[in-house]
Amino acid sequence: MTKKSKGGKEDKTAIETKSKSVSGKSQKQKKPVEKEEELIQESGTDSDYDGDSLSGSLNSDDFDSDIFESEDDVTQGGTEEDGGDGESSQDELLDHEGSIDSEDGDDGSEQIDSDNIEEEDGSDEASDRDEAVEESDSSEDEVAPRNTVGDVPLNWYKDEKHIGYDITGKKITKKERQDKLDSFLASMDDSKNWRKIIDDYNDEEVELTKEESKMVRRLLKGQAPHADFDPYADYVDWFKWTDAIHPLSSAPEPKRRFIPSIWEAKKVVKLVRRIRMGLIKVKKPEEEPEEGPVPYLLWDALTSDQKNKHLTYIPPPKLKLPGHEESYNPSLEYIPTEEEKASYELMFEEDRPKLIPTRFTCLRSIPAYENALKESFERCLDLYLCPRIRKKRINIDPESLKPKLPSRKDLRPYPNSCYLEYKGHTGAVTSISTDSSGQWIASGSTDGSVRIWEVETGRCLKVWQFDEAIKFVAWNPLSSLPVLAIAMGRDLFFLNTELGNDEEQEVIKEMFHSGNIPEPEASVAAIVTWLSDELYGGIKIRHFKNISSIDWHRKGDYLSTVMASGETRGVVLHQLSKKKTQRLPFKIRGLPVCTLFHPSLSYIFVATRKDVRVYNLLKTGLATKKLETGMREISSMAIHPGGDNLIVGSKEGKMCWFDMDLSSKPYKTLKNHPKDITNVAVHRSYPLFASCSEDSTAYVFHGKVYNDLNQNPLIVPLEILRGHSIKGGVLDCKFHPRQPWLFTAGADSIIKLYCH
Amino acid sequence: MDVDGEDVSRRLHVKFVTKLDSPFKVPVNSVAIPSNVTRLGLSSIVNSIIQSDNPEWKTEPFDFLIDGELIRMSLEEFLLAKGISAERTLEIEYIRAVTPRKEEEPSLHNDWVSAVNGSSPRFILTGCYDGLGRVWSSAGSCSHILEGHSGAISSVAVVNSKDAETVTVATASKDRTLRLFKFDADESVDSSTRVTAYKILRGHKASVQSVSAQKSGDMVCSSSWDCTINLWNTNQSTSEGESVPVKKRKGNNQADESQSEGEAVTTLVGHTQCVSSVVWPEHDVIYSASWDHSVRRWDVETGKDSLNLFCGKALNTVDVGGEGSALIAAGGSDPILRVWDPRKPGTSAPIFQFSSHSSWISACKWHRSSWYHLLSASYDGKIMLWDLRTAWPLSIIETHNDKVLSADWWKGENVISGGADSNLRISSGIAIS
Repeated sequence: MTKKSKGGKEDKTAIETKSKSVSGKSQKQKKPVEKEEELIQESGTDSDYDGDSLSGSLNSDDFDSDIFESEDDVTQGGTEEDGGDGESSQDELLDHEGSIDSEDGDDGSEQIDSDNIEEEDGSDEASDRDEAVEESDSSEDEVAPRNTVGDVPLNWYKDEKHIGYDITGKKITKKERQDKLDSFLASMDDSKNWRKIIDDYNDEEVELTKEESKMVRRLLKGQAPHADFDPYADYVDWFKWTDAIHPLSSAPEPKRRFIPSIWEAKKVVKLVRRIRMGLIKVKKPEEEPEEGPVPYLLWDALTSDQKNKHLTYIPPPKLKLPGHEESYNPSLEYIPTEEEKASYELMFEEDRPKLIPTRFTCLRSIPAYENALKESFERCLDLYLCPRIRKKRINIDPESLKPKLPSRKDLRPYPNSCYLEYKGHTGAVTSISTDSSGQWIASGSTDGSVRIWEVETGRCLKVWQFDEAIKFVAWNPLSSLPVLAIAMGRDLFFLNTELGNDEEQEVIKEMFHSGNIPEPEASVAAIVTWLSDELYGGIKIRHFKNISSIDWHRKGDYLSTVMASGETRGVVLHQLSKKKTQRLPFKIRGLPVCTLFHPSLSYIFVATRKDVRVYNLLKTGLATKKLETGMREISSMAIHPGGDNLIVGSKEGKMCWFDMDLSSKPYKTLKNHPKDITNVAVHRSYPLFASCSEDSTAYVFHGKVYNDLNQNPLIVPLEILRGHSIKGGVLDCKFHPRQPWLFTAGADSIIKLYCH
Repeated sequence: MDVDGEDVSRRLHVKFVTKLDSPFKVPVNSVAIPSNVTRLGLSSIVNSIIQSDNPEWKTEPFDFLIDGELIRMSLEEFLLAKGISAERTLEIEYIRAVTPRKEEEPSLHNDWVSAVNGSSPRFILTGCYDGLGRVWSSAGSCSHILEGHSGAISSVAVVNSKDAETVTVATASKDRTLRLFKFDADESVDSSTRVTAYKILRGHKASVQSVSAQKSGDMVCSSSWDCTINLWNTNQSTSEGESVPVKKRKGNNQADESQSEGEAVTTLVGHTQCVSSVVWPEHDVIYSASWDHSVRRWDVETGKDSLNLFCGKALNTVDVGGEGSALIAAGGSDPILRVWDPRKPGTSAPIFQFSSHSSWISACKWHRSSWYHLLSASYDGKIMLWDLRTAWPLSIIETHNDKVLSADWWKGENVISGGADSNLRISSGIAIS
């Protein structure tokens, strides 16, 4: 019995008897005395009990003290002195009842004594006993064990300084133990010592109460622990003794039920024999290890064996548990005041508290609430849609996929920077052409002017002004015949540049003399007319349709003209020396876009919108070769000086390199320009080719052709030449015939020279 | 001298020395100066020292050399970069800064000025795109006009100016001919006299790009777009077969004077592209630069090239000068002026590369007396004066509004230049000791 239980009882009684305080108190006082006497009686009757310890009033005192534990004084006061000590103890116990009660204590207790005796007879003994039993039971229930470790083997704490934890989580430290001698002497001195037991679990000495010792005694005797348990109660006969009419089985019990089994005996004999022979080894019963399972700290274990023991070791969580301030509706004391909030603003970002508690009236008013449903739906959707199979990834270094190209530095020289500009045109420069020596460049513009420039200084040497926008200019490839062919609208002009020496000038003048234009042949009369041009002293050839492209033959005598017309009328050849025009000796399928003479053989390349056909000029009939570009619309062509490689530019920004020895399909298709390619060019001596586009850039490539037929051409992009204004783009590009320089003609009316 | 140095910078003990004459001399005392001064600071120090002795002294810019290198940063950095100890007394030599102090009036031409020549101290010779050569006795006063060419003049050279009386000059033109003129340079005239050529040199098949005369004045050489270099005699006396009297085709009696035609004595063949520039610095050595990316040295006697420097860029101009008149400077189709030393064995790499220009270099000329100074003209409109002792230009002349096509030194202290703005410009007062 503890203080607490006592106090609880007091409470109860106090509530019962609030109005009659005095009498209530008397009751209180009465109870222990009753118990005491009862115990005395019982002990007296107990025959087995050790008479030594039980005899005398001291014993009864002891028992009192047992019952009231720390209230020794009270009980003593009650029995012997009735002294003032009781006051103080009662004060402690009944502090809520006030001091008035305690004042009455003396008288009350005396009364109780007398009352006790008086009421002894009247009170029902059984009920008293019941009460006592109840009390002991309830007290047992109420006393919570001091130690909270639970039902664990105590040897876990064998090596610790504490034996466990109390209810507040504090360690309960072990008490000092007396050594054997001291305890023996103590037991000699203290007659009550035999009743003391050491409670290992709570690590304290417990003195058994009289009642408890009685209970122990009864258990030792094999009786029911409580005296009021009646082992011989009347038998309640639940069985229905009326005979059943039919037995469940009428068969008599067989004999074998009553004799031991022979087979079993045989089996046993056999086993015994085998054990004796040593064939069967009987395992000795395993001795239980004294220690039991080794305890370990669950959350503190970072030892390696700990990790090994578990297949998937998860490190202990370190997160702080959420506190009150994290609540959506924290108490007011957690809410920072305005000043505090202002002070947070002054703090460093790192020192500032991560979370400022705020109050919301309900969960719905939390900002996250609005999206909560959608978010959870999306999470579910993610889970639902997430692929269950691990995707196989091919582990390839992207660098290794790049073709191994030589460095740009090794491929020098190539044009890369613009130093010279040729300014003077007022319209977009549509076409440029260099003379064979590279001293001059001719250009034609939409403003109707044709200009000749000195390459070296950028000086404009000559200007011819026409009425129409210039479509095409082409310098005669012969250095001895400095004649310029100019296409505009339906007209083709041959102009004397007056740049050659005196004899050359004589030849040209003779050629351009107006008198000797022969009559045109009947077959071409409908297509072209040769005229003499009065204005600039040249020759004019009028065509029946607009000219789209012209190209000089390498010998400088023939010139092909392309018009947008089918069959045999789309391409005509003009012969300058004889002033004669002839049709091609074959039919061309589709509308021709441009033509190109083979640099060394008598072939002509005719590009239609989709493909390029190669014709032999000396043979009539079909094309000797058809090159399929796979492009939408061809815009320009250029041929490698070797004659086996052709470059085709298209209006979709693609450029094809054809190796005609290899295949009729493009060897390489380069997609660089986002807009139409306007022209492509190949250098005469350096392994360079270029493309220019309406996106106002020109690309320069390295294009090396090997003599070895087994080796494919090497194509390396080198440089993007920018500089022309965005509007209109670059309309033409030509390489300098001897230097690795590129001329570009822009729609911004400027010609630029890019040098190496 | 206070050495306790209140300012943060350290102090250096320096001694100013010079090879200049008396008005520029300072006492040979050591002075302490802060180490963070630049050229300007040093210049003002020297000026103030001189002024303390000579009150009528006018401030004069100076340039400073330490161990033969021009200072182009703060003194401290310079010493650090060169690893010179600042402990001992430094000897700093000063020279008058090489920079033009005066800009003469521009002399306007009818067309682009393609060639200038200042080899004669008495006059300036210019060639123009209108086909006329002009002789200027000073800025703005044209004394003679050399006419006859039907194409733009590309180059001019003074053949012989030693004689007191007459001067011989040669002009090269894009009409494939060269013409030789004789005139009296000292003749004082109000209006410019027109001079016709006494000799026409025909033989090139394409535009003549450059002409240069032998020191003695007996011969000229010319280079052309036809990849050849031709050597011509300049003497008027017609030897057998070499020159024939000019045919008077048109029959008008304009040309009273005897006009003879000359043919090439020798043709030097070897270049594969346009030979853009020739110089004839010594009796039998010709240097040429070409668009085939090479600089060659020709032996006149044998007609063979004895040196072939590969440059990698098309070259427009070449000049020989500097130390022992042996260094070759050339510029071309990139903004870098390169200087080679052909005496250096085993390498053809340039020993100096000056790259402050931003466009093609059209002309470069060594100073005729200094070993270190040269000028370069570029299409970016700038003329830069260089000293081999520093990688930065000494001064940049930006008087032209357009491309500079030609530039030369004149009388040792002037820079003359002609360009696409049709002007001859003279920057004078350049002090080169």
